[in-house]
Order: sequence, then C-alpha cells, then structure tokens
Amino acid sequence: MKRSGVVWSWFWMILGILYFFLPLVATFLFSLRAKLGILSFLAYQQLFTDDDFIKGFSFSVLWGVLTIIVGILIFVPTAYWVRLRLPQFRTAVEFITLLPFVVPAIVFVFGLVRTFSHPPFLIVDSPALLVAGYTVLSMPYMYRAIDTGLRAIDVRTLTEAAQSLGADWATILFRIILPNIRVAILSGAFLSFAIVMGEYILAQYLAKPAFAPFLAFLIQQKAYEPAAATVVSFALTWACMGIINLFGRGRGQAPIAGGH
Amino acid sequence: MIHLTLSNISKEYGSTTVVQDFNLEVEKGEFVSFLGPSGCGKTTTLRMVAGFEIPTTGTITMDGLDITKNAPNQRNVGMIFQAYALFPNMTVAQNIGFGLQIRRESKSVIKQRVEEMLALIRLEQHADKYPFQLSGGQQQRVALARALANQPQVLLLDEPLSALDAKIRVQLRAEIRAIQRKTGITAIFVTHDQEEALSISDRVVVMYEGKMEQVGTPFEIYNFPQTAFVANFVGTLNTAAAEVTDPSKGLISIDGIQIESAEDLKDKQNGDKVNIAIRPERFSFASDGKKANVMDCRIENITFLGSVVRIRVSIGDTKFNMDTFNNPFLELPKIGDTSQVTCSREAVLVLKN
Repeated sequence: MKRSGVVWSWFWMILGILYFFLPLVATFLFSLRAKLGILSFLAYQQLFTDDDFIKGFSFSVLWGVLTIIVGILIFVPTAYWVRLRLPQFRTAVEFITLLPFVVPAIVFVFGLVRTFSHPPFLIVDSPALLVAGYTVLSMPYMYRAIDTGLRAIDVRTLTEAAQSLGADWATILFRIILPNIRVAILSGAFLSFAIVMGEYILAQYLAKPAFAPFLAFLIQQKAYEPAAATVVSFALTWACMGIINLFGRGRGQAPIAGGH
Repeated sequence: MIHLTLSNISKEYGSTTVVQDFNLEVEKGEFVSFLGPSGCGKTTTLRMVAGFEIPTTGTITMDGLDITKNAPNQRNVGMIFQAYALFPNMTVAQNIGFGLQIRRESKSVIKQRVEEMLALIRLEQHADKYPFQLSGGQQQRVALARALANQPQVLLLDEPLSALDAKIRVQLRAEIRAIQRKTGITAIFVTHDQEEALSISDRVVVMYEGKMEQVGTPFEIYNFPQTAFVANFVGTLNTAAAEVTDPSKGLISIDGIQIESAEDLKDKQNGDKVNIAIRPERFSFASDGKKANVMDCRIENITFLGSVVRIRVSIGDTKFNMDTFNNPFLELPKIGDTSQVTCSREAVLVLKN
C-alpha cells in the first residue's frame, strides 16, 4: 500500500517533469541546428550580435530595474502604513492590487493611450509611462510579496521600539523595516523583472523597443534564432529564481525572526 | 522630588472609556507598577506616557514640562515590550547602539556606552550575535540595555516578563530591579501578575475597568486592601458577605456565626450588610483555651502546595481557605473531620465596597 503510493508519486512527478522539460529540451536542440548536419551555437552567435536584440534586451533590463525601484518606493511605504495604521483598508487595498489580473493588458494599454495621448497628459511617448504601466502590472506580485514579508515581522512593536529610541519615519523604514523584509522585496523584485522581460502588449502598443516585441518580430523572420532567444529568456528567469533562493538562504532565519 | 505627573488622564475610543480619571505622581528613581487584569487600562496608561496614545483629557508632565502631545521620538523614554522587539537585522551591539546612533553620537562614545551596557546585563561575549541566536531571557536583557543606553528619563516596561518561563521570570525580575536601583532611573512596570508587582515595586497602582482602585506600597496593598477587587486580585483571599451585629464592639455575623473585627465600624448600623475578607494564612487551628473568634468547621479538602498546605474548611455555609506552613511533623486532619479554627480580630478586614 505504502510502497505503491511511493511508486505513483514518482510516476506523477516524472510525468510532470517531462511535460515541462520536453518542449524546452526540444527547443534547445532545435536552436542548436542552425548549421546543417551538426550541432552548433551559431544561432546564439547571430542572436548576440544582432543590434536589435541587444537594444531590446538592454532596454527591457533598464525598464525592469526602474520598475523595481519605483515599485519598492511606492509599495513598501503603502503596505507598511496599511499594516500599521489602516488595517481596516487591507481588504480594499488587496483588491486594488489584484486589479491587473482582472483588467486585460490590452484594455489597460488602450486606457493608457487614450488618457495620456492628449493635453494635459501628453506623455504617451515618454518611457515614464511604460515604467508606470509596468509598475501597475507588477503590483500583484510586488505588493503581495512585501505584505507577506511584513506579516513575518512584528511591524507595530518594532516601529514603536524604534520610535521610543528617537527614530523618525524615514529611519524606521530604511533601517528597520526594509532590511527585515529584504528577502520578500527581492522575490517581488525578481518576479517583477521576469514580467517586464516577457511583457509584450504594453511595449508593443506604446511602440517601445523592448525584448518581447523583438522576439515576436524575430519569430516571423527567422527559424533558429527565436528558439535561441526563448532559451536565453528561460535561462534569465531561472537565474532570477536562483538568486531569490540564494538571498533567501543568506542569513538563516534571521530575517524572519521578527518580534517573537 | 516629583518626576512624572499624570493628572486627570482619561482615554476614550469612540464611546468606550478605557482609562478614567487617572492621577499619579511618581518620584524620581521610584519603581511603580500598574497591576490589573487584562483590559483594565494599565497598558493604555503606559502607552500614553510613552506617547503611543494621546490622552482624551488630562496632562502628563515630566520634570515640569508638559509632554502630553509630544511624539514618542520627542520624549526621552525607554520602552521594554513583552515581545522583546529587538531589531532582527542588527547584532546585539548594534541594537544597543541604535538610539545613540540616531542621536548622532560619535563612534567612540557609542562603542564605550555599548560596552558599559553589555557589562551591566552580563552579555559581553554575545555582542556580535543576532537576536535569534539568544534565549528569550537574554533578548529581554538586551532590550533593557538598548532602552537604558540612551539614558532615558523614564523606563517603561510593558509586561516584560510574560513571555518567559517561570524560573527565568523570577531571575530577570530581580535583575531588572537591581539594574533600576543601580542606575536610579524612574520606572513604570505593567503587569497582571500580583506576585511580580508586589515583589518588584516601591508602589503599586491596582487598576480595574479603567479606574485606579488603590495606590500604595506592596505592604499596604497586601495587608490593607481597600476594595473587594483589590482584596481578591492581590493574593489569595477569603471573602464573605456578613452583617454588622454590634458596631461599637466590632461584632459581625457570618451566617449566624459571631466574629469580632478590630476595624472601626462606628459609621455602620446594626444589620448593615458588609463584605469581609480574611487572608488564608491568618487562620489557624484553635488551641485549647482560646475564646475569641473560635469557629466550628468541617474539613472539606486538603491541597499540598509545597511550602504551604492549603486546607479548605466550611464554617456554617461559607467556605474558607486556610494556609498553614508545611513541616515534616505536621499532623493534618482528615477530610470530613470537624475541628475549630481561629483568627485574630485584626485579620478580619471589612472592605469599603
């Protein structure tokens, strides 16, 4: 009975692994076949020397980083204040943070274009609008990650302890709260980063040279390079995950020890 | 010298009154406890002194300055929490030095002060550890050092021992008191544990439902409780409803059994209902020949409590606890036996309400 249970768990796990990895392995193998008859990294070579790839990739990285910074500056104080002083609004705020899941990105982007393409808000060409849009899209991940991090520490008591030692709000946020939810912020940040790197609709309709539109364009043009680009973007996402885990392990239970 | 004054303090949340007409003057270097059950307003009062709550009415003055509405970081008070509240991202030394850093003290001053504090709490060898590497008792000692490092005018302790286990609690209690004496700091200590309050304080404020029931030294609070609440809350106590039968002689009847009280009953009339209280340790078995306050009783139960044996007796329809010191040669009666107990006239307290 117990033995057959183990066998079945293995069966389902292997099935799951195959389901996820077979397409990836196939894509990878395909990407190596740019030269007829032999396996080579030619497709990768061509990809990395393509100016449009470098441009799209570096733009997306830049916007991803900006999105993370803006997200931290907005969501950490918000989540902190809601936990500390406005717990009655928690449900409402949580609902708002989930809106990007409810409103389709295509609707969102047309809303942005309509609102910001004529005075007084003529900023549809500015990268700031794209970063703002990305910040909204990353909100469910970023806000929730931060909120979970705050739940693990005794926000109120730590705040009061710092206050009674003479600290002001900025000191409390930057020296007490931020360092103690560092792991949560990092995981939110890397999720946001992964979203920005893979986001297509916003960049396409705001006509910005980002990574995903470039990938879509590439698929229509070439055979082997898109496969290589897919593998690269997977590798990037996994690297993000790996870094989250690495930082998460960093100093043992210290960051979650909190009040008790 | 009066150091801290709370006058006519009250605190309301909407229509609920949490603290009502609280008046207290605390001397410099005095150790005062707020004692009461949960929800009595003791913590709220402490938090008003700390600045985390603003009183609805009344004023708080420290060294003659009105600090009622000052922000918590604008008052020089040290606070100790039940949950320790050490900063998890900082080492012990960094925690202790935090307040000094906020004040922009020089590195050498901070270093020296942190070392002094570590010596005070005897944790020198743990300076570079993180809070999660310490035991609860050690963490609370670090919290104490952190609060004292800033040389605050008042030290506020909000149930600091409640999260610790019994043995550590007693040790740390003595240590807190010793450090408070050594530094001469004025301290307010909030607790629901009457033994803790009695053992540690110069004065105890007993609170119930937002009001001060009684203020006095531990000796006064224990021996002369003025209200039924104080009598019941502080120590174990027998209370009984009784009737005054002769005010001039101090005679009282409990279910028809006459006893004599040393208290002044001149303002009472024959037949007035009163509540009386007798501490269990004031009872003893009546020896032959004694006449005053001798009562027939029946042994209901015997509980062995270590240093003390608690015997439950019924006198008439009322049940009383009687404590007697344990010794190996003690001859205990059996449950169901009848016997006679006695107590002195002074042991019979007549409560004010």
